[in-house]
Amino acid sequence: MTTVLPTRPHTNSTGTSTSTASRHRQPSLSSFPSSKRTGSQSTHADSTSTAYFDAHSATREHDFARLRSSNNLTLPERNSAIDGATHTAFARRQRRVRSQYPANSAEKHVEYILVASFDIDRGSIMEHQYPGAVGGDEHMLADLMLPDQTHLRSQDWTTFFLHKDASEEDDERTRRRKRRKRRKAELAGAHDDVEAGAEDDGADGEEAESADDESDDQDFDSEDELIDGPPLVYVLNLVNTKQDHTVKRGAIVKAMAICTRHSFLHIYKPLLVIALEQYFANPVVETLATLYDAVNAMDLSLMPKLNFYERFILQSSDAKDLFLEKFEAIIAQRMANTDGEVASLPALSPTAPLSRSRYGLPRDTHEFESVVRYANIPVPVKVPTALSPETVGDFSLIKLITTFSTPHSTSPQPLTPFHPHLTTAGSLTHPVIVLLNALLTQKRVIFLGHNLPSSEVAEAVLGACALVSGGLLRGFTRHAFPYTDLTKIDDLLKVPGFIAGVTNPAFAHKPEWWDLLCDLGTGRMRISSKIEQAPLTEGVLYFQQPGQTPSAPSASAGSISAIAMAGASLSAGLGGSTTLMGSGAGDATGDVAFMTSVLKAIEERHGENAIRSKFRRWVLKFTRLAAAFEELVYGTSLLQLAPSPKTPSTPFSPSAKSPDSQFTSASPAFSRSMSMTTASTTTTTTTYNPEASASTDILPPEVTTHGYVWPSPQSKTNELAANATRIEGWRSTRSYYNFIQDLTAFYTRRPVQGIDLQHLHDKLAKLRLGTTASGNVYLAICAAVWSDEEINQLLAVIVNGTSLSAGTGNGGNSSGMSGQAGQGLFYLGAGLFHPKRDVREGVAGLLGRVREHEAGRHFWKAAGGFVRGAWERVVAGMEGRDDEGLTGGI
Amino acid sequence: MGGSISKMMAKIFGSKEMRLLMLGLDAAGKTTILYKLKLDTDVTTIPTVGFNVETVTYKNTKFNVWDVGGQDKIRPLWRHYFSGTQGLIFVIDSSDPGRIDEAKNELARIIQDREMKDALLLVFANKQDVNGALSPRAVSDALQLDTVARNHTWKVEPSCATTGEGIFEGLAWLSQNVKVGDTSGK
Repeated sequence: MTTVLPTRPHTNSTGTSTSTASRHRQPSLSSFPSSKRTGSQSTHADSTSTAYFDAHSATREHDFARLRSSNNLTLPERNSAIDGATHTAFARRQRRVRSQYPANSAEKHVEYILVASFDIDRGSIMEHQYPGAVGGDEHMLADLMLPDQTHLRSQDWTTFFLHKDASEEDDERTRRRKRRKRRKAELAGAHDDVEAGAEDDGADGEEAESADDESDDQDFDSEDELIDGPPLVYVLNLVNTKQDHTVKRGAIVKAMAICTRHSFLHIYKPLLVIALEQYFANPVVETLATLYDAVNAMDLSLMPKLNFYERFILQSSDAKDLFLEKFEAIIAQRMANTDGEVASLPALSPTAPLSRSRYGLPRDTHEFESVVRYANIPVPVKVPTALSPETVGDFSLIKLITTFSTPHSTSPQPLTPFHPHLTTAGSLTHPVIVLLNALLTQKRVIFLGHNLPSSEVAEAVLGACALVSGGLLRGFTRHAFPYTDLTKIDDLLKVPGFIAGVTNPAFAHKPEWWDLLCDLGTGRMRISSKIEQAPLTEGVLYFQQPGQTPSAPSASAGSISAIAMAGASLSAGLGGSTTLMGSGAGDATGDVAFMTSVLKAIEERHGENAIRSKFRRWVLKFTRLAAAFEELVYGTSLLQLAPSPKTPSTPFSPSAKSPDSQFTSASPAFSRSMSMTTASTTTTTTTYNPEASASTDILPPEVTTHGYVWPSPQSKTNELAANATRIEGWRSTRSYYNFIQDLTAFYTRRPVQGIDLQHLHDKLAKLRLGTTASGNVYLAICAAVWSDEEINQLLAVIVNGTSLSAGTGNGGNSSGMSGQAGQGLFYLGAGLFHPKRDVREGVAGLLGRVREHEAGRHFWKAAGGFVRGAWERVVAGMEGRDDEGLTGGI
Repeated sequence: MGGSISKMMAKIFGSKEMRLLMLGLDAAGKTTILYKLKLDTDVTTIPTVGFNVETVTYKNTKFNVWDVGGQDKIRPLWRHYFSGTQGLIFVIDSSDPGRIDEAKNELARIIQDREMKDALLLVFANKQDVNGALSPRAVSDALQLDTVARNHTWKVEPSCATTGEGIFEGLAWLSQNVKVGDTSGK
């Protein structure tokens, strides 16, 4: 893996050293407003990028030539595992790792620093704003910075979000559109950009960077940050109350806030503590300016950018060196540039290891470590490498879940009134599920923490957003108010489906203000007596028809509960009957088993990451159920990426993606087309040969299906019926429409297009397939997964697993690679034992590619001797046959 | 009359609950009164950011007392606390005749709100220990309670928050006059 490194400086240092000299300095703090940059700087950007682009493409061409020749020389005439690995290894070598926060970006880490204080005559007032006024209502801002009851504690933290107003938003959009257009023109239609809702990196100042990067390394990641509106500005605020008998009425209350677009705003906490202390001593605007300069000088340029699947895989794993290759590569790139600049010897010189250690590799690739020097103190900061949408600041899902689980498990209290969207398992539905349901169906949710620091309610709100988003759904943080108070109530009530944190118990007395009140002090939830009734919709009615009434497999009590959950017109009496059943038969949604597994994982200290992954899988399953529900009830669904095997860009028709026509994604396509050509010329088909059938576009029926997999039609009906009300509740929400929009944008960019990878893997895991059917499924997966991106998607599928509560019995470890949900490579590995040799060898080839993949190798390590031993046997068998001069299958 | 019935109810049900809202201009002594009630000690207070709320049990009645900051800017928030309030405690700094007019205007605005129509009104003529403090009579005249609060049951109680003088007497009056059937605390 690390052999990637030595070649990098060679290839780069020839043409790129001068052109990229400006890229790796400390942030330039260019004060140009981003709107004016378009004219004056773009020429400069273009010239740099072109230079870099040319040099790079030259090396690429060279590599292709080598690749081609090596193929001709060494490729045996068959679809070989080893070749696949070679292809991906080459493909990887082409890639340039981008920085998440390039040093030349005009986007600042921190946009504003604010100071407010509580004036004994006037209330909350804003004292300073640096470098300028944020705009908007200053008093409202000052109120937010001085939370209720702050006079009762010496220190408190709050978080709140600022929304840019509409005019700025339009401005920004126009600018983005212009930029995208220009970039498109530059690339001369070299790739199919997605217009709808797709954004570029979201970084305004990244023009130079993205322009050449996109031509250099076209992942689908450049557009994966889909944004419905301008990015939020996150505000982290520290307030101190100091008793001081020299002042009138005995105390000074001051607050300092940092406004940033980074969702990891918690890294600034130690800095705010120091800076506010400094401000008490020296209450002038210069104190703010010093902090502003210090935080914006923070260097994150060596933090590699990950794409959608890579981020997801990293988040789901505990491996501390996952994607270390990217850190190595970005350091190598930097070294190459630096070496060029100081005119030192080319890489491979003895200085190379020295300078590499100077940059330092991370101890844990989940975090990037940097330092902010402020007030002569080097303050270490750790920035998460993989950020999920809707994950803001530091919060603990474990804490949130425990707060509401503990009272529920010790003395459950029935929730009234019943609401079909919320109490999906009767009046004793687990509070965390009630919360999820409320957020999914866009209810107004308030977290109340009377006598608690406002930081606690803010954390609960942020945690709730992440809980329901699962990194998949969006539209929660945008309507979240981590801390708010009565002064904003009129505006708050205009927001449909808000999620708000308050410390003022006055909110509890106003059930007309909220739908679900979550009391952090008592750990209890209340459904508002004034909650709007759920409409009886088509989807709910569907499951009430006599023919569709689900009959539970076991007791009659089970069927009552299933109907009860499906019915919107449910009386309180029936809700009670479901509570009698508790778990087991009554758990038609599977939520009881799910929460049991969550609580068990918490108890066994699997850690925050494992819990977040569990909820991610819950949300993912919910969206897949919703897709199946819509297809069943409404005949069609936009909630899933149905396979598109007949479009020309599928992996089944290699000619569509030639290196020339699609330069930017050339290497994977190229490697695939090469191997496919070699394969299809020789393989004599036994049952199903994906390459051969590609020409005729006929796939066996078991690989063209899609969606969630149930073991039986009855279990499908039961599960959809149990989820009907909340799915219907979700279908009119922001997060639902955002999800469709994201999927639409993602549709053409997903790596594997011809088949539903998750579906096929689920089939292997959940169903007992016959020899022919399973063979076809294995071959389809093997044929579809070649490039790094495709392997990333496969790994994500494996991490997503198939079952939410499976693996609770055996505990397992928290890593998604081996245990718990996905069983790692187990189901794929089982293909090594398939009766048909072409299946075994195909799977061996696929696993060979996974083994060589930078993330796949970790999965391989976790796969266990069972799979690895079988793999070695199959590969040895193939090589043995080669030695005997045999070609082709039997 | 109502007093004797509510006493009877208290005996039958053990205790009752009453929601009180304590307002007044800044630095009138609201928070000091609250903690005198709660802790029966004289605490040094600093300006209230937002509000304080404490539950005080006195003579079989559970008082839920809300003390809301009095700064000019945050007075518009007071209305959010009105609904469900059974008794309003309005605190006057009797030693500051210069602001009594301001206090009169604020009180008139509160007590005439629809949501406060059933609330009892207790005015603490606070800081009676200061020389030259206004008498209770002078306070009620200055506040024009005869006209402003003519639809309410009201009382002006001379008080000194730091010593506790008058404070518990005021609570006893509220407890005696709270209407039966309105004791849910909701």
